[in-house]
Amino acid sequence: MKQQRLEVLSLLPVVVIAFGLPLVLHSPTYLHIIILLYFYAYLTTSWNLVGGFAGVLPLGHAAFVGIGAYSSTVLSLQYGISPWLGMIVGGVLATLVGVIIGLPTFKMRGAYFALATIAFAEGLRVMVENIDYLGPFNLNGPRGLEISPLNVGLANFMFTTKEPYYYIVLVMLVGVLALTYLISRSKLGYYLQAGGEEPEAAMSLGVNVARCKLIAMAMSSFLTALAGTFYAQFTLYIHPKSVISLDLSFEIAFIALIGGRGSIAGPILGALLLRPVSDLSRIYFGATLPGLHLIIFGIVLILVMIYQPRGLQEPLTRAYNKLLERLAARPAVGV
Amino acid sequence: MLYILEDTINGILMGSIYGLTALGLTLIFGVLKVINFAHGSLLMVGMYVAYWAVALTGLHPYLALILVVPVMYLFGYYLQDIVIKPIFKAEREVREPITVIIVTTGLWYILDNVTLLLFGPQYRTIQANPLRGKMLELGGMLISVPKLWGFVTALITAASIYWFLQRTRLGRAIRATSLDRDAASLMGIKQYKVYNIAFGIGTATAGIAGVTLVPFYNVFPSVGVLFDIKGFIIVVLGGLGSMGGALLGGMIIGVIESVGPQFMAATWTEAIVYGLFLVFLFVKPSGLFGVRYDW
Amino acid sequence: MKMLEVRDLVKDFGGLRAVDNLTLALDEGEILGLIGPNGAGKSTAFNCIAGVYPPTTGEISFKGEKINNERPWNLCKRGLARTFQIVKPFPSKTVLYNVVVGSFATTEKKPEAERKALDILHYLHLEDKKDVLARNLTIADRKRLEIARALATEPKLLLLDEVMAGLRPTEVDEMVRIIKDLRDKGVTLFIIEHIMRAIMAVSDRVVVIHFGQKIAEGTPQTVAADERVIKAYLGEEYGVS
Repeated sequence: MKQQRLEVLSLLPVVVIAFGLPLVLHSPTYLHIIILLYFYAYLTTSWNLVGGFAGVLPLGHAAFVGIGAYSSTVLSLQYGISPWLGMIVGGVLATLVGVIIGLPTFKMRGAYFALATIAFAEGLRVMVENIDYLGPFNLNGPRGLEISPLNVGLANFMFTTKEPYYYIVLVMLVGVLALTYLISRSKLGYYLQAGGEEPEAAMSLGVNVARCKLIAMAMSSFLTALAGTFYAQFTLYIHPKSVISLDLSFEIAFIALIGGRGSIAGPILGALLLRPVSDLSRIYFGATLPGLHLIIFGIVLILVMIYQPRGLQEPLTRAYNKLLERLAARPAVGV
Repeated sequence: MLYILEDTINGILMGSIYGLTALGLTLIFGVLKVINFAHGSLLMVGMYVAYWAVALTGLHPYLALILVVPVMYLFGYYLQDIVIKPIFKAEREVREPITVIIVTTGLWYILDNVTLLLFGPQYRTIQANPLRGKMLELGGMLISVPKLWGFVTALITAASIYWFLQRTRLGRAIRATSLDRDAASLMGIKQYKVYNIAFGIGTATAGIAGVTLVPFYNVFPSVGVLFDIKGFIIVVLGGLGSMGGALLGGMIIGVIESVGPQFMAATWTEAIVYGLFLVFLFVKPSGLFGVRYDW
Repeated sequence: MKMLEVRDLVKDFGGLRAVDNLTLALDEGEILGLIGPNGAGKSTAFNCIAGVYPPTTGEISFKGEKINNERPWNLCKRGLARTFQIVKPFPSKTVLYNVVVGSFATTEKKPEAERKALDILHYLHLEDKKDVLARNLTIADRKRLEIARALATEPKLLLLDEVMAGLRPTEVDEMVRIIKDLRDKGVTLFIIEHIMRAIMAVSDRVVVIHFGQKIAEGTPQTVAADERVIKAYLGEEYGVS
């Protein structure tokens, strides 16, 4: 059987399990944890478009989460606009900001680019923390915005149980993974990776490296902002330190790096491995050993960078591919 | 009017301390060509070492330098040797080692949180120290004494490092490596040894900065974060690799922070600092005195 | 209409004049060699032509159109490709991937780009290595990969920057054969080279640069016998076969 068919077949049970999980797992606590897991997997996969494929190191992506969260929340609280619409508005706004940031910064070298993204994100956070009103929009400064769970229903992106949120974020995750997969096999994907590895050579081969990076940035910021709206509707409370924090930006980057940036499986793998560590250490050691999960993150990050710079997905993907090769070669598996 | 002058002077003094904190960062960048994201955390470690040295012995804070400088030097030396060197070796062909940035960020997280674990989140200060709250009266203005000490320390430290780099053999070896590491190593200069030493000096400088801050600044696990970002800003403003630039950049920030609140809400001065940072990044990334690098 | 025309090209780097009033031209289907001692300004001239940086003064025309300030990717679309003196493969990608990047200059679809890439790999005898990671190739194979990639963009003019450097004599002969073959396929070639016997064997005409200035031009034989050229190369060995 062809290897590609095997690939698809092997993913089928995963998809089935993912979609069927809420039917067997009813505990809201666990669903909540898994929802956040998908949320982070979504964020890191979106980040990967710029941080992985384009080969730069953005460390301020939480800014887009914030833009998405605040856009939809302000629009729905002040003007009664449906959060779904607000989501799109947030996405478009984030795209604009992303492109504006990208234009001057993509010319910079790695470290400067990273610093610039940090500066933008922190600058945005400081701004939001200090102003109550941005023109006619009430941002409420450091106190943040609260969403009251009044109008329940799909149209209002508001639910009383966890299950709808689960499915929404799962669909988002699958969507962004599919997008990443398609891009990796497309001209844009090839051009992005070429431009990320050897920009001079890529340019001589017809690649407008800067433009490709901007396209990737536009997509990434749009998608990230959508997650911001989801977060707002899910947790019902946003404030600058929660949605525009440096910690969030770094966590997204760390997870993607540990899992393996530039690959499709890397970010999810990273989220799958690290989020439970984060949650468990907070639950069990939160009081006695605060910040333990961050120490673990840091150590794992350093070890991975030294020994497996392409991320933990590399040995796993290799083993997976080898297994598929073997199965595909065996005539006995005649399907 | 006098207030503005007073604020400006205090701003320059505080700014020189900012510059001192950034001195190590710019030195490490100049030699190793990496931006050490863990620098703020190293400063924090320096502050804790100084704090404990004083709290346990009751000595004058600046005497803690005797302990802080060698301890921090060795800490930095071995940090570079054990953690960062393997990355350098692995990425020898890569033009800009981004991975080192990632690793130093990991270090930042580890250092900050281990400290949190060990010492708890509480703010610590040395109450009974001879410098706390002391003011010097000068022509109707009140100048902060601990900051004045810091100013002098910053100048002495910068001058010493400058002298070391210019006049000693080891210093010349370091400068040679920073200019062209391949050529330097071909001349028998051990590249990684130089890196270790440079990192050690940079970290020791952070330690010195910690000592100057401890008399009047709170000590807590995440104190490094504020200085870390400020350090980057200063270093870009002043020019990566330039020590005079670090001091000058620090003073600029110090003055903005000091004089700014006269004209606007204090938190807006933070925004101005970020704005200035971005302007420099876009318009003149080599900063005021930076050396042009052939990346 | 000449394929490439360079008129009074000057390139200054601060106070240093790397290229000093260089004038030359290539006809379609020609192989022009550019030689000169190290540091003579050859690669600088290439970089100006290839759009890496603009000339300080002077004019560069490609197929009759002025290209002084064009960026490399646009030049590639116009049919001008180049290789690099220090090869720049995409190290973490396979040989096939590398060439596919080039093929995408002529198509939008991946299957077609792959097909074209495989053809080129076949032509350059790299087909059996198509799944090898570029960083694991020998230097000779890397040089061929570099050419394969540039070829994939279907150029009319190909600038080859010291493709023979670091190759063994048998590999050099192989490369000479490839270059002559390329010309037969209709590619105009502008070659920088140090290995004398190669460039003399392969070029229709040769231009000699010294300190950024053209000091001789003509057939390989004429240039080899030129006194100024011999003086410029005093101390370097070469032989004309």
